[in-house]
Amino acid sequence: MLRNNRNNEHPEKGLFYSKTIRFLSIIIILIILATLPLYASSYVIFVTAIALLYAMVVAGYDVLLGYTGQLSFCQGAFYGIGAYLSAILTVKYGWSFWQALPISVLFVGLVSVIIGYPALRLRGAYFAVTTFYLAHFVYLILLNEVAITGGPLGFRGIRPPEPIGPISFESIESGYILILFSFIIVYFLLRKFVNSNVGIILKSIAQDDILAESIGINAAVYKLLAFVVSAIIAGYAGVLFAHFFRLLHPTTFSWFLSEMVVIITLVGGAGTLIGPVLGAGIVIFILEFLRFAPEVRYVGWAIALIAVLMFEPKGLIGLIRRMRRG
Amino acid sequence: MDRDGRKGAGRSMIDPLVLTQLFNGLILGLIYGLMAIGLTMIWSVTDLPDFSQGGIYIISAYTAYWAITLLKVPYFLALPIGALVGILLSVAFERIIYNRLRPSGVLSCLLAAIALFFLLENIANALWTPKAKIMSVPETEITLNVFGIVTSYHRIIILAISVSLFLFIHFFIKYTKIGMAMRAVAEDREVAELMGIDTSKIYIFTWALGGALTSISAILISPLYAVWPGMGTLPLLKALVVVILGGFGSIIGALIGGLILGLVETFGAVYVSAAYQHGFAFIILLLVLSLRPRGLFGKR
Amino acid sequence: MVVGSVLGWYFTRPPAAPHVIKIGYSAPFTGPAAEFGTNGWRGILIALEEINEKGVYIKGEKYVVEIIRYDDRCEPTEGAAVARRLILEDGVVAILGSHCSSVCLAIAPLCDEYKVPGITIECAADAVTSPGFEYYFRMRPSTGLMAPLMTPVIVEKLKPSKIAFLAINDDYGRSFVESFKKNFEKYGVSTVAEHYFERGTTDFYPYLTAIKAVKPDIVFYVGVTPEGALILKQARELGLIPEVKFIGSEEMGEYELVSLAGKEVVAGTYAISLWAPKPEIENLALKVKEKFNAPMHYAIVFGYDALHVLVKAIEMAQSLDPVAIKEALKKIEYDGLQGHIKFETFEYEGKLFVNQGRFTPYIIMWTETGEKVPVGP
Repeated sequence: MLRNNRNNEHPEKGLFYSKTIRFLSIIIILIILATLPLYASSYVIFVTAIALLYAMVVAGYDVLLGYTGQLSFCQGAFYGIGAYLSAILTVKYGWSFWQALPISVLFVGLVSVIIGYPALRLRGAYFAVTTFYLAHFVYLILLNEVAITGGPLGFRGIRPPEPIGPISFESIESGYILILFSFIIVYFLLRKFVNSNVGIILKSIAQDDILAESIGINAAVYKLLAFVVSAIIAGYAGVLFAHFFRLLHPTTFSWFLSEMVVIITLVGGAGTLIGPVLGAGIVIFILEFLRFAPEVRYVGWAIALIAVLMFEPKGLIGLIRRMRRG
Repeated sequence: MDRDGRKGAGRSMIDPLVLTQLFNGLILGLIYGLMAIGLTMIWSVTDLPDFSQGGIYIISAYTAYWAITLLKVPYFLALPIGALVGILLSVAFERIIYNRLRPSGVLSCLLAAIALFFLLENIANALWTPKAKIMSVPETEITLNVFGIVTSYHRIIILAISVSLFLFIHFFIKYTKIGMAMRAVAEDREVAELMGIDTSKIYIFTWALGGALTSISAILISPLYAVWPGMGTLPLLKALVVVILGGFGSIIGALIGGLILGLVETFGAVYVSAAYQHGFAFIILLLVLSLRPRGLFGKR
Repeated sequence: MVVGSVLGWYFTRPPAAPHVIKIGYSAPFTGPAAEFGTNGWRGILIALEEINEKGVYIKGEKYVVEIIRYDDRCEPTEGAAVARRLILEDGVVAILGSHCSSVCLAIAPLCDEYKVPGITIECAADAVTSPGFEYYFRMRPSTGLMAPLMTPVIVEKLKPSKIAFLAINDDYGRSFVESFKKNFEKYGVSTVAEHYFERGTTDFYPYLTAIKAVKPDIVFYVGVTPEGALILKQARELGLIPEVKFIGSEEMGEYELVSLAGKEVVAGTYAISLWAPKPEIENLALKVKEKFNAPMHYAIVFGYDALHVLVKAIEMAQSLDPVAIKEALKKIEYDGLQGHIKFETFEYEGKLFVNQGRFTPYIIMWTETGEKVPVGP
């Protein structure tokens, strides 16, 4: 990674201390990403698109885990509900993508409220277990309700989003740009959200929700808010995925996905928003890179995770900040 | 069509098939209960819902498999061998990892436990391939016919071992010094320390016991089903539900909760829907959490 | 970050050796379907050895074949990434793979898009070749084609009136049951039970108990060998066998079932077998045992055949141009270990099949000694 290398070479310089340098590097990365279709192969574009979708989901999830301190395992479920609902609405009922999108996202939000309202009253581990089961339950529905979802036979024939004016989303490049664009907007909004007063309240709940309540904060409402926000973003990413990949299969939305989201958020650095995003990029690319060593991929991965937890619980961001301080 | 040919008069009033299901459900429930007892002990004494037990479940089952097929060890010996592995792993995790992370909070320990589960599962995957292995144990081949219930000798073994273990643990916790110390730490750690109880030793002991129980339940069930790397996830989740159903910290609760879940699953799978059979645990979870969150026998 | 990775790839890739034919292989090497990839790979490796010993001659020049393999975890998004990587980054002239129908469905459109031919190793769902893709080929008959061929044989030899299905809940299992159900109906055999289980299920007692209650004559069980072994074991425990006849899907015609479950458990049960017990198969089995110390598996046969067919097509085309290879595949006829391989385009029951092979599978019965004897056709 560009950043890390530079830090290692000049530990005293505290390169990212300066706000302008940080701002500039973000701009550079954005330019690289935006112009990717010009010089990269479809393979790289495809993988980057998937990475960006993951980045969106983990950024939303970080609001729940990193900022509000609630461990949840059902991001995959919301991702899947968003994807399948939009697919069903557009393919079976002929809706346009632009109509299906808000409705699917709203529906995911609704589901998250219905589930979140009772579930969030539970303490940490009980809540985590409930979300674990929820994810599996949604997976079972996707798998077994063959008439609606196609089950293991898959859901094919999803169309790309309808063109807006002259802009068509048929090609993989344009789909990628749509995802990149969505990611930037979502991230920007999330940043504003966590830096606002609401974000501070969320952080106080993560620290000690009983204490927070004693000064008059209705913890339950804010926890629900965080839950819904993370769910909606996952749902939105799911919709984008459905129309980008155009083939849905329950295996894509299994536990594995939810596990990956949690792991990436942790490894990247929960509670920093940028950490998980970077984590998503790194994880996806490393996994791609290691594709030729299938048997080793995941073991090495699990070991890395434990190493992170043991030595740098703040994840990658913690690591970078430590190096920053020299 | 039952094998003992009871077709004429004098037939039992209850359909033998239902009786078989009842029995199988109870046996399954006992297995869930065993693992849940271990989990509830660890959780109430150390404050950590130990997800890594799911990974320990897998590794001890493979150890037993290896002992039986490669070293040709009889089944009764494989049980303590596997249990030993479970104990070693649990205690190792506590000493090396959870201990260090404890100051950072329960969340960190929980995440570490999950990571360890993930790690153990993938190690099993890499070492033994994802294909399921069948543990052939002669005790499963011997079929018996008891009151019209067709079952194998092995299931009787499960029954015997689980019940005796449960009784042993129940009396142990209630009447021995260590048992009382464990209860004290579960009640209030700081007070227990003030009273002079060496909490770190109690922690080690609790983990050893929990690990042993998890391993034993894994090895008991393996000859009936199969041994494969993904075998730990569902039992772990079910055991967690049983802990919640039975009541946090209650051993009797874990046993009874396990039996309930085993029966509901078995009957639900046959009479309601086999496809959603793992969803029943979820429904039970939701019911418990909304109607009686402290579970059947829970104190908090 | 992205630029770093891309640059990293370009600088660390070794320069292509002269006279190498690069062929890609996408298969599940991790995850629950890993045995298919592992076995397919074994078949491919043995075929690769045979091929490279002699070399491939195109326009008088000698070439060797190199296989680039990646793991797709039996997951469509992975398959799509793998296919793109193989075609765009590694520059393969053809792709072998995959094994899971969902992945094949993700790879096939990419083959058409980039005009690189692909041969599936064993995807069984009809949808892969119907309505089909110009650049995607399948050797074995799909489930939709197997059922009409096998049903009359089963009806004739085993004479059932009621049948129950116990199948794995994935594309393969579901399409299997769908097509067989329909065909059995035509012969007046009614389906009294239809159950699906998840991959990795080990507790079949609930399903078997429910099946026992409806008293079928035949139970058709679909899955992989460990599941099959457990099903048979548990069915015997419940008293279902031997009164009810159990027929297994193609996996259950493999010796691995016997080694997993034991001869006594398997004896007397039936299975579909996709390849004829020819001496060449025995040869291959010996090589597999020698090289990998592993039992024979039909994925090995398919992998073996697939690579041979592909290389033969390349030789026929006398060119490394993927389009030319595709044309050669369309015309080729090859006697593989599975049977006579020919990729045809035809219509069946109103469905169009493209680039699909057709040969009749066997029904075998397991003997007490752990051998299999063909019972039909």
